[in-house]
Formats: sequence, C-alpha cells, structure tokens
Amino acid sequence: MANKKYDEDVYILENKKVNGKYFKLTFRSQKLSRNIKPGQFLYVRVSQGQDPYLRRPFSYFRVSPSKVEILYEVLGRGTSILSGKKKGDVFRVMGPIGNTFTEKLGKKKRILVAGGVGVPPLVFLAEQYPTEYLLIGTKSKAELLPKSELKKVRARVLCSTEDGSYGTKGRVTLLLEKILKDQHPGEFFIQTCGPKPMMEAVITIAAKYGVEGEASWDESMACGVGACLGCMVKTKDGLKRACADGPVFKFEDLEL
Amino acid sequence: MKIDLTTRIKNLVLKNPITVASGTFGTTDEYAGYVDPKKLGAIITKTITVKPRTGNPMPRICETSAGMLNAIGLQNKGIADFIEHKIPYFKKLGVPLIVSIAGESAEEFGKLAKTFDGLKDVVKALEVNLSCPNVEAAGVGGMKKQERITDAVKAVRDQTGLIAFAKISPELGDVLEIAGKVLGQGMDGISLINTLRGMAVDLRTRSSRIAKDFGGLSGPAIKPVALRYVYQVKKEFKVPVIASGGISNAQDALEFLIVGADLLAIGTANFVEPQATLQILKGIEEFCRKEKIQNLNALRGSYKPAGEKGEGCSR
Repeated sequence: MANKKYDEDVYILENKKVNGKYFKLTFRSQKLSRNIKPGQFLYVRVSQGQDPYLRRPFSYFRVSPSKVEILYEVLGRGTSILSGKKKGDVFRVMGPIGNTFTEKLGKKKRILVAGGVGVPPLVFLAEQYPTEYLLIGTKSKAELLPKSELKKVRARVLCSTEDGSYGTKGRVTLLLEKILKDQHPGEFFIQTCGPKPMMEAVITIAAKYGVEGEASWDESMACGVGACLGCMVKTKDGLKRACADGPVFKFEDLEL
Repeated sequence: MKIDLTTRIKNLVLKNPITVASGTFGTTDEYAGYVDPKKLGAIITKTITVKPRTGNPMPRICETSAGMLNAIGLQNKGIADFIEHKIPYFKKLGVPLIVSIAGESAEEFGKLAKTFDGLKDVVKALEVNLSCPNVEAAGVGGMKKQERITDAVKAVRDQTGLIAFAKISPELGDVLEIAGKVLGQGMDGISLINTLRGMAVDLRTRSSRIAKDFGGLSGPAIKPVALRYVYQVKKEFKVPVIASGGISNAQDALEFLIVGADLLAIGTANFVEPQATLQILKGIEEFCRKEKIQNLNALRGSYKPAGEKGEGCSR
C-alpha cells in the first residue's frame, strides 16, 4: 500500500474526558484527515523531551474535514502526559501507518467485534461502511462509549459487559457465537480489534463456523516504519511486521 | 558559509559524518518516505549472518527511562537473501555502505568477510559485530572469551582488505584492552558502544517485560557512557571510531565530535524522529556556522581534558 506518509506538528483543538475510561483528543491536520483509513494508526510523540522517549501508536477514532480524533485510555506515562494537553498545545504525529481493514466486502455482511482500545477504529468503520453488527465488549458499563459517540453508527450495536452491568453478561464472543449459530454464518465477514485473548477467541469461533475475517494485531513497537523488527507477528508466511505489513491480518494467515 | 563536513576513514571519503546504527534503519528503504537516505555520509546495515535467523519471541521491545530495551535477536534473512534482494537497492542508492556482520564462529566471520570482499563496488567497509546483546553464540555471551573475539577479527582480516571496524561494548570486558587486541589483529577502527544489557520487570507477572530476561539498553540513557568510551578509545589509539549510543540531537553529536568521533551513528533516535539524522546534520552545520568553523576537522578531537584532576577517573 503505497500511500503517502506524513510527520507533522499538529494543534490540539480539544482534549476531554468522555466517560470514566476514555479521553477524546481532536487535532487539526488536513493531510492526515484526508489520507487515513480504517485500521491504520498514528504514531504520536507525546512530548519533545527524552523521557518518555518512544512514540506511541494510536488508532484514530474519527476524521472530519481537517480534523482527526483519537480516543484513548490513560494506561501509562505517555497517555497520562497526553491527557494533560490543552487546546492550542502542539504535538508531533506520524501517519497514516500500516494497512487497512477491507472497506468493501461485496455481498458479505460485516460483523465488527471490538473490545477495549479496539473500539474506536471499529466504530468509525461502522459509521463509514455498511455494517450489520457492531459488537462491543467491556468489563463494565463505566467503560462503554457514551451513546452520543455511537449515534452515527448505522449497524445494530450489541454490548456485553463482563460484570453484567449493561447488555449481555459475559464476554463479547458470546454475542458473536449466537449470531453465527442462529443465522447463516457463510454470509458474514468478521473484523476485530481489541485485547489479544478476545481476538484469539473470535478467530477460534470464526474457524468453527467457517467464517472469514481480519484482526488488527498489535505488538510493542519502537520505530513504527518497519525498521526495528520489534513488533513481529507470526503468520503462515513467516514473521511479519505489525506496523508495516499489518496491523490488519486475515484470520487464515495468523498463526496463533 | 559552506562548512566542509568531509569525513575520511583511510581511503574512504564520506560527504559527512552522519550514519545510522546497525539495526535501526531497516533493511532497505523503510525510512525513505521520511528522510532522503542519499544525504547520509554512510549507511550501516542491520547485522547480516550466514544463515537466516528468526530472532527472539515477542515482546522484543519495552520502553525504559530515557531509552528502551530490545531483544530482537539479530533477525535477518541471511547473507544470500541480502545479496540477492538488498545489495541491488544499495548499489542504486549510491551511499557508501558499511555492512554489519556477525558469525557464530570465526569461520562464519571469515566467510561473511570474504563474500562482501567480492562486492567492493557497493560495500565500502565492514562493521564486525562482536557485541550483540541478544544472541548466545554470536553475541556478548559467546564472545565473552576474548580469544574468540581475536579469532573472529583475525578471520575477517584474513579474508578481506575492506576497511573493518570491530563493534565492541563494555559488556565484553575492558574496552581499552579489547580495542587494543582487535586493532592488533588488523582492525582499522572501533565501533562503540552497542547497547548495554539491562532488565525491566513487570510487577503484575513478576517477569521480564520483554521475552528474554535481559535486553539491550539504548537511547539517551546510555549516552554519557558511550561518550566516555569514544573519548578513551580515540585518545589511546587514535584510530577511526564509529560512535553510537544515545546520540539524539545535534548537541549530542557535537559532543561526540569534540571527543574525536569520526562517524556518528544515529540509532534509537531514528525510531522517535525518522528525520533525526538530517536534523542532526543540520544542527552540526548551524553550530559550525555560528562558531565560524569552516572544516569539521577543526572541531573533531578538540576536547580539552579536565586537567590533572581528571587523571583519577581515567579507567
């Protein structure tokens, strides 16, 4: 995929907490907003100092003309610094990085299975392309995206929480398996992004029902351009780089 | 004012002293979308081994204070693939190429040297990697015995007249002693300091944050250590030195030049700023212009020792 890549200083337009878990940061960038596609990510330098030093990968959440949104959870030093940024602050961002989810599925019906930090990229996919189901799994209700962030999604949105505080109690894969069991699984195509155990379970269920799909696979990375060989993913065709050959891999190509 | 940045290593003439540390600039054109590689003084390749290596399991990377640990494990497709698929790219690019090599035995080092000796139209020098932190046979573990280091560089020297740098690290033992030995076996220069082995523990699992117990520490965290060794080796032996170890900006680069570094290999900084190499080059030129230094050699090695008091902390 020979799309153009950018590395630029961007202005923050807004950075706010949207629920108990997520922050939403909006920044201005003509180039990135025009060129980024679902599944690709941005590589962000949260500060110009030397500690923390490495960039952080973020899937983008949504784009509108000249604006890009990222949705993030404060999990460590980098996201903590990011959460303290204000309107007008500048940070450096590289992108778009990596390959994309398949956008047009032909006759297949799209099922998106999202968990944790995998929710944002799939929500935008469901806003942009015909989607049958968007399945979202979280630990509890507090981590679910606010309804206002889901109103442009045209798919049927089904939620599961591990503690049963909202939607179906249990893991999101329960929802997936029920759909595949009750309907014609061959009609569907699954796209998934989230914690690895969740994606592994999705892939196992997909194999059981003979459904094809794609997973966005993530590993700790350093360079984000395919140079350091830090983020390798085992595939049937040998080791591939999550940042440059992925992050999206076909279920059938992944070797779990 | 045009600054003369020309850097000479024996008969090799480079347009500037900026290069990239082995393994941090991809295998061919990974950075080409962000930086014009033609502007570099030289390119040092990722380490090439005789046979393909799959490297270590994931996670291979974790961030630490002002740096990172890596346990890549010399993943590469081996020399045959390099010659078939990578050499043509570098030939076309036309930037002087320094190939980093690592063998599991002296024979393998010799074989690699011999092969690249036959590619002198593209390969201008070798960096003999004696200090990879992440592999048993070819790295710090296997090379710990100093006889094996001497055997490896001797095997290289026997097979090629190419300019050869021995890449050593404090992990191997006394740097000055080892540098003396490898230079005694005909190495033309020294490359310093590779990564330093470090460790990071995940509190939840009480295990390593990378797939190995130890990984190579790189980035700004190791710069003062690298600077010290470059200074000491330059002072003691006056041979060409490739400096690497946390060079992140022009200030760092200038410090290394002042203590005498010939080439400056930018490593981890590439991961953070893909244009780090050229930003550093620009910064060096700006400094020279400000200080009215027309030729970089006027700056190189101009360090003023701290005087008698400095003697106490020499080794």
